[in-house]
Amino acid sequence: MDVQREVLRIVDEVLSLGGRAQAFTRQTHLLGAIPELDSMAVVTLITTLEEQLGITIDDDDIDGQTFASVGSLVDFVNGKLGG
Amino acid sequence: METGLHPFFMAADGGRSGQRFCIHHAPVTQPVRGAVLYVHPFAEEMNKSRRMAALASRTLAESGFAVLQIDLLGCGDSSGDFGDATWADWVADVEQGARWLREQHPAAPLTLWGLRAGCLLAAEAAARIGSDVGQLHWQPPASGKALLQQFLRLQMAASLVDGKPSTAAADPRQELAAGRSPQIAGYVLNPALTSGLERTQWPPAVGAGRSVWLETSSRDNAPLLPATQTALTRWQQAGHDVVARVVPGPAFWQTQEIEDAPRLVEATLHAMQELQDEALPA
Repeated sequence: MDVQREVLRIVDEVLSLGGRAQAFTRQTHLLGAIPELDSMAVVTLITTLEEQLGITIDDDDIDGQTFASVGSLVDFVNGKLGG
Repeated sequence: METGLHPFFMAADGGRSGQRFCIHHAPVTQPVRGAVLYVHPFAEEMNKSRRMAALASRTLAESGFAVLQIDLLGCGDSSGDFGDATWADWVADVEQGARWLREQHPAAPLTLWGLRAGCLLAAEAAARIGSDVGQLHWQPPASGKALLQQFLRLQMAASLVDGKPSTAAADPRQELAAGRSPQIAGYVLNPALTSGLERTQWPPAVGAGRSVWLETSSRDNAPLLPATQTALTRWQQAGHDVVARVVPGPAFWQTQEIEDAPRLVEATLHAMQELQDEALPA
């Protein structure tokens, strides 16, 4: 599985970006840089990642750094996938 | 009967429990093919899904189904505050909506149609009403507990977005356990609501009729979500007659913008035809 591609697909869907996320790179900033990423979107993103990628995320695993950039989020998901 | 869309207030529990805002979509064709009660999801998801609920209700009415949308106690335009509502209140509202539809359309097979938390309420009410009640579930949750956990995460997420430590606010689980009502994302949670939500039997007691589950996915040819597949297997093992399908479409109850899932509306109409055929005498 191309984890970055799956993560960006989910980010695009949850934030209703209409395909804009496809142009994101590891360096793209998320939290604080994308206005659509509010608290409700963060929760939806966590839940959708869990549901669609079959991972379990504990609230204690998450901090501001997790959603700082595409790279940090992909690394976090990779860690959860054990890859 | 007059066709079209009729908003009205229903006196709850004979007026002892205020009023519930309802919209009756009268069937455009006669005779009425079936009666459908829509049970909305929890908190903000209700607002996000208003448009899809209206679209599907209208489509069903145009195909000869009567649809009732009811705002539960403390939700939408109904009486009471969100923090007043208990799980038992909401189940009672669903049962009352079902009774109203039965009185209006006594010959029509009845289906309870839920979205997310609304599925849990619809299933609980359907099991109480009886074997001739069909169920249509849009995006049924893995469990009431999972749904509550997701909602309580909003507090943690708000602290992330604000850049403040999450220790600033009391743990909502501890607040609820102590019988207090924490406020999450503007919603005051009654401990008697969350305890009921967490304890919901899922699968419910066997007794209601056939169920159709519909799930949306942004992926092509996606299988059911693993958690949904697990829940489905539990229902089937408990003896429920249930089928589940995935249709392409956005997760409109939680997407940032209000989105449409036209394929879900089509699948809903198809599912209602199946459920109604099932309900007809052999």
